[in-house]
Amino acid sequence: MAGSLKVGHEFTSEINKKYKVKKFLGSGGQGEVYEVTSGKEKYALKWYLPHVATSQQYEILEDLITKGAPDSSFLWPKDLIKDGKDFGYIMDLRPPEYLNMFELLKRRVEPSFRILCLIGFNIAKGFRELHSNGWCYRDISWGNLFINFNNGKVLICDNDNAVPNNSDLGNIGGTPRFMAPEIVLGKDKPSTNTDLFSLAILLFYLFNIHHPFEGKLEDKIHCLDPHAMKEIYGTNPVFIWDPNNKSNRPVPGYQQNAIDFWELYPQFFKDIFTHAFTEGLHNPQKRSTEGQWQSTCLKLLNSIIYCNNEKCGVENFYDQKLIKIGVGCTCWNCQRIIPSPSILLINNDLIVLSKETNITQHHANNDFNIDNIIGKVVQNPNNPNQWGIKNLSSEIWTFIKPGGQSILVDPGKYFPLIKGSIINFGINKAKIY
Amino acid sequence: MAKLPGGELSNRPLHFFWIADCSGSMFGEKIASLNYAIRDVIPSMREAAKANPNAQLLIRALKFSTGATWLTNKPINVEDYEWEDLEADGLTEMGKAFNLLADQLTMPPMPERALPPVLVLLSDGQPTDVYTPGLKRLKELPWGKKAVKVAISIGNDAILDMLEEFTGNRELVLNAKNSADLVNMIKWASTLAKQVSSPASKVSGEDPIIIDLNTIPKSSDDGEIW
Repeated sequence: MAGSLKVGHEFTSEINKKYKVKKFLGSGGQGEVYEVTSGKEKYALKWYLPHVATSQQYEILEDLITKGAPDSSFLWPKDLIKDGKDFGYIMDLRPPEYLNMFELLKRRVEPSFRILCLIGFNIAKGFRELHSNGWCYRDISWGNLFINFNNGKVLICDNDNAVPNNSDLGNIGGTPRFMAPEIVLGKDKPSTNTDLFSLAILLFYLFNIHHPFEGKLEDKIHCLDPHAMKEIYGTNPVFIWDPNNKSNRPVPGYQQNAIDFWELYPQFFKDIFTHAFTEGLHNPQKRSTEGQWQSTCLKLLNSIIYCNNEKCGVENFYDQKLIKIGVGCTCWNCQRIIPSPSILLINNDLIVLSKETNITQHHANNDFNIDNIIGKVVQNPNNPNQWGIKNLSSEIWTFIKPGGQSILVDPGKYFPLIKGSIINFGINKAKIY
Repeated sequence: MAKLPGGELSNRPLHFFWIADCSGSMFGEKIASLNYAIRDVIPSMREAAKANPNAQLLIRALKFSTGATWLTNKPINVEDYEWEDLEADGLTEMGKAFNLLADQLTMPPMPERALPPVLVLLSDGQPTDVYTPGLKRLKELPWGKKAVKVAISIGNDAILDMLEEFTGNRELVLNAKNSADLVNMIKWASTLAKQVSSPASKVSGEDPIIIDLNTIPKSSDDGEIW
């Protein structure tokens, strides 16, 4: 299918840069996207449909370009192109390794839970950056981001909807299924609080491959038309796992994902969704925040435990609450009991120690920096049965054995995983269980 | 081995119907344009369906002239759907087409749970049979009422009122004045599957979940008679 701009057409931008249309990439509700070149550089051009190309939208774009992207996880407007009354903006092209989220929802990619945790963390981080800069995104949905399923990095696009929070600018209300009930019912305008609601929906889709309000109430509707959608997502939204309202539980078979995923997760992870879709549902001030989602995604990442059955080996989650009451961890895939792992307890957060575990700067400093890896679980090269943690930081750590003997661990050296010992990372201390 | 439990996102079937007038007056350029345009949009419908986890898109076509016939016995998954060129000859027995449609929009064969069906009617002339009982029957069925109904008049202003009886909404009666219009309108109609099942971002303040009327192509005004 072709777009309205001709291939080969040349434009000069507002900063006098020349661009040439190379090919039509796709279209959406607001306009069309093209690949364009400027010299040897390739970019994407979003070209608005006439009814969206308003002078207000033009001013919003000018403001976005002046202020610049909050960080590198945004495909942010960079330059403006005008042609009579029509206009569009230039942004970076999506790198090919970044895919749409529908690839996951259709199960054409199969990331690990570890990657899902990183994706969730990075999505929350991106919107936290945007919100902390005073912007409201207005249209969080799975259609507006791209994901690298190999490393969990994300790219947030369609940032031309972003406007200063609580301003009257912008005309986008959101995407059906993601809009907060007060927006569906036309009672409020988009804000960072309604963004938080849409973020919770997006994260529920990511971790459950299901919508949090699609239970029995959706199942019994014959025709899912606009009136039915308004009822489910606006007038009478009921969280499928609402502890005080069981009227909308998922239907086995038809809504099986909701059941299969939910029962795997530790209680703290269920709690944040339950809060977001019960207390936070009609009370925008009580919605789960981006920072809470970041912490929770990291906590989930730290709870991953691998099934020790050689033929299975899938990821499971260690639920401290269940372990405390004597319930063991049973593998969801092969149904075998998984032996209790070694655990590092930092303040009140636990890290399950397994072959994939990295200790990050965040564990030492609580600063959400998970890119700087300061330690790694490794096998002792001289004794493969013995596991330890290698100090990958530039600091000297103090390792205290259960008997009280203190040993310095230089950068590049290991300390063994001995139950009852303590490691001092600097700001935080950790105990091995 | 799967790293995650479960399967793909639960979805609903979306039944999409092309209803094509193959009467003698469609002979020549009109039927050729219709064949070209529908064949041309199928790959785009397939691509859009691949990117839409909310729906399972099923397509069927019904032709009417002297009598009415389904081109396939069953609804076909868009991935396997191929357009078969139609030929024009005979009368315009649209009433028979409405009756066949009504048979298929009864439950069963329609499932208990689906997205609104999409019915796209393409015609260039007044029905030659008594069409009102068939249309009434179709519109009284629950799935008939809920269906998104769009009509494209092919070069004939005189049938717009009759087509409005089918759509129930003048804005959803499109008037193709030439073959370029017809191609654009069929292209737009093919996007209804996505609009109905996985609606895009909505402008603040409008009814949040409706067909985007802003995107309906306008007929060109070049005065060409077709």
